[in-house]
Amino acid sequence: MLVVKGAKIYPGTGAVLENGVMIIDDQGKIREIGQNQSVGEADQFLDFTGKVIIPGLIDAHTHVGMWGDGEGRSGYDGNESVRPITGEVRALDAVNPRQISFAGAREGGITTIQILPGSGNPIGGLGFACKTQGTVIDDMVVKHPTGLKGATGENPKRAHGESQKQAPATRMAVASMIREYFKDAQIYGDKKKKAEEEGKPFDKDLNLESGLMVLKKEIPFRVHAHRHDDIVTVIRICEEFGIEYTIEHCTDGHLIAEYLGKKNVTAMVGPGLSAASKVETKDITDQNPAILARHGVNVCLMTDHPFLNCRYFLQYAAIAHKHGLSFEDTLRAITINPARALGIEDRVGSLEVGKDADFVVLNGEPFSYKGSIARTYIEGQLVWEREAY
Amino acid sequence: MLGIRDVKIMTMTGGTIEKGNVLLEDGKIRACGRDADLSPCIKVIDGKGRVVTPGLIDAHTHVGLSESGVGREGTDTNEGTNPLTPSLSVRDGINMQDQAFEIFRRSGITTVGILPGSGNILGGTGLALKCKGAIVDEAVLKDPIGMRAALGENPKGNYGGQRKSPATRMGNAALLRGALQKATDYLDKLNHPRDEKGKTRDKDSEALLPVIKGEIPLIVHVHRHDDIVTVIRICKEFGVKCILDHVTDGHLVKDLMKRENIHCGVGPSMHYGSKVENKDRDFRTPVVFHREDIPFCFITDHPVVGGRNLILTASIATQWGLPDDSALKAITLASAQHLGVDECVGSIEPGKDADLVLWSGNPMEYTTFVDMTIIDGEIVYERGMYQC
Repeated sequence: MLVVKGAKIYPGTGAVLENGVMIIDDQGKIREIGQNQSVGEADQFLDFTGKVIIPGLIDAHTHVGMWGDGEGRSGYDGNESVRPITGEVRALDAVNPRQISFAGAREGGITTIQILPGSGNPIGGLGFACKTQGTVIDDMVVKHPTGLKGATGENPKRAHGESQKQAPATRMAVASMIREYFKDAQIYGDKKKKAEEEGKPFDKDLNLESGLMVLKKEIPFRVHAHRHDDIVTVIRICEEFGIEYTIEHCTDGHLIAEYLGKKNVTAMVGPGLSAASKVETKDITDQNPAILARHGVNVCLMTDHPFLNCRYFLQYAAIAHKHGLSFEDTLRAITINPARALGIEDRVGSLEVGKDADFVVLNGEPFSYKGSIARTYIEGQLVWEREAY
Repeated sequence: MLGIRDVKIMTMTGGTIEKGNVLLEDGKIRACGRDADLSPCIKVIDGKGRVVTPGLIDAHTHVGLSESGVGREGTDTNEGTNPLTPSLSVRDGINMQDQAFEIFRRSGITTVGILPGSGNILGGTGLALKCKGAIVDEAVLKDPIGMRAALGENPKGNYGGQRKSPATRMGNAALLRGALQKATDYLDKLNHPRDEKGKTRDKDSEALLPVIKGEIPLIVHVHRHDDIVTVIRICKEFGVKCILDHVTDGHLVKDLMKRENIHCGVGPSMHYGSKVENKDRDFRTPVVFHREDIPFCFITDHPVVGGRNLILTASIATQWGLPDDSALKAITLASAQHLGVDECVGSIEPGKDADLVLWSGNPMEYTTFVDMTIIDGEIVYERGMYQC
């Protein structure tokens, strides 16, 4: 039993707790949370008087552990871009928990991440959610799979049309290949169902199995889209098939925010703070999260690590807040919103009884430079502490 | 004449003045202080207690060379066809219409260092430039500031991959040494012409003469500690000056750095470990440099880290123990010293260029806005014009 007391706690859902108390059981779950509670016996007390506690941050779109961070080419496993449709590949099979990016995530107060394949392929493979501490990835998994990665725009065109002189070379072909994939998955699903009904043997196609999961709404299609028309294309295709989706990046979202609000879109917005590295990101603005939220879009912030170093996730959130995202919306965009968007809100995303004791101890208010991260805890265990250089 | 009244002035050289005035005339700072008389001013901006700092300086960028939002057509950073291209001038590759210049002005950046990329052992000369106007030749503050050099992974990766030299760090060093030796011999021949052959013009050696003569430094891209040691070794062999950029491992060889007193442009500190040679990148280097009194400024290497994050880089450094005023100095006065333009810019002093930023509050705070940016006495950005 661990008792955390003295700090001002933002639980993420519900009111702020001045002089908050959190009781954590031996399984790393929150047993009680409140303020001014009388605390009985405990194995360990942590007095964080003068500090601020927020839920462990959730970065809903990263390539932590698979992008060769500090390892060069030998550690790069982000894109299986030898062919454009790779529904069968899984990020889970390519993540190195010892890569420095995991330590960076803990330093940045991030306790849960979604790891997705890259955006080189129109159909890129399966992503998953995991905690940021551990040595065996399977022990760190919170949920697998969390979605099927898709991609539109410049990246698949460049990876295939430009680099390999094969389709897709245009946005038309990107859309067409995504459509054909789901049509194939539909036909495959029908055949599979028929074979099951007739009790006949059936050859599984792992590429189309992923599409079938999306068609059955077991997982959403998570589609990389920067330019406004790419975003609109994604929505068009997903509505044709009646599938659930999230818009990943959503850089031009501010140009079509009303449309996205009407469609109740969930957008993973980021990487923030970046320069416009491509033509399709030329209209990037720090005001995007605020404009989207104002129009009713469900906003989750994300770093797309390594494209924004995940150590600076909280700074990105602060800049989104500076440009008009309210304090509450900003905190939600890095905690409970991504938890819900990943379907893991029963375990993480806020500090509530029964949830994992994943939290960050700050030296001040979360979106101030005085509020530096002092400690990060996962399931009641200290996983990072700021030390003087 | 333009006046700014009732502001907290963070001068960088003369402390912080509360409730002061600043008087600007003919593009220069005429006076600043509590008693600066603003009565002759045509226009007086009411600071209402806000903060004024010198214009920010990002000493190592590729703005205008690696254009934002343009893709391949807007990329003129590396002449990656030959590892020795010292005769190139970055001035010939800068597009003043790069949208990043406008973002820099909105971010309070008034002066930038612009360098060729780090793909070549010798990449050409770099310059310092004001973030204003449409004509590069009118925006230049100092050209050249130095000769761009690079060691480590970038040159050996670029050329080794093509089965050309340099393919190793030994090759990197040999090419740099060879070019400096050739230019030294060339200078010797110019000074002591023995025959007509000695007068054959060599454009590469010609471009390196200011380096050999000690008029400009080598500005050297280095990350790994041994590359730092190598470049210091080579520069000593030829008696040439250098400044170092990136210096990711600098804290590992801090005693050498301290002894040599070489000015460093540290960064981009917010970037990830994009290569093996910068895998240990964090804020340790600037904090140790500050403690050891090794002169340094912060650089973003825009677009590697967006230049608008220069102030954010300084804020984050304070979380690791860099005092606020030192962090601000590392993006103003120290940057000016790095570029060799501190006679004109980098602090708020009478006689210096009127490059100022008016902030809505404490510049270090994440949520503080740049309310106004002034370059050479002209308002080049005012918040509200763009607010949505």
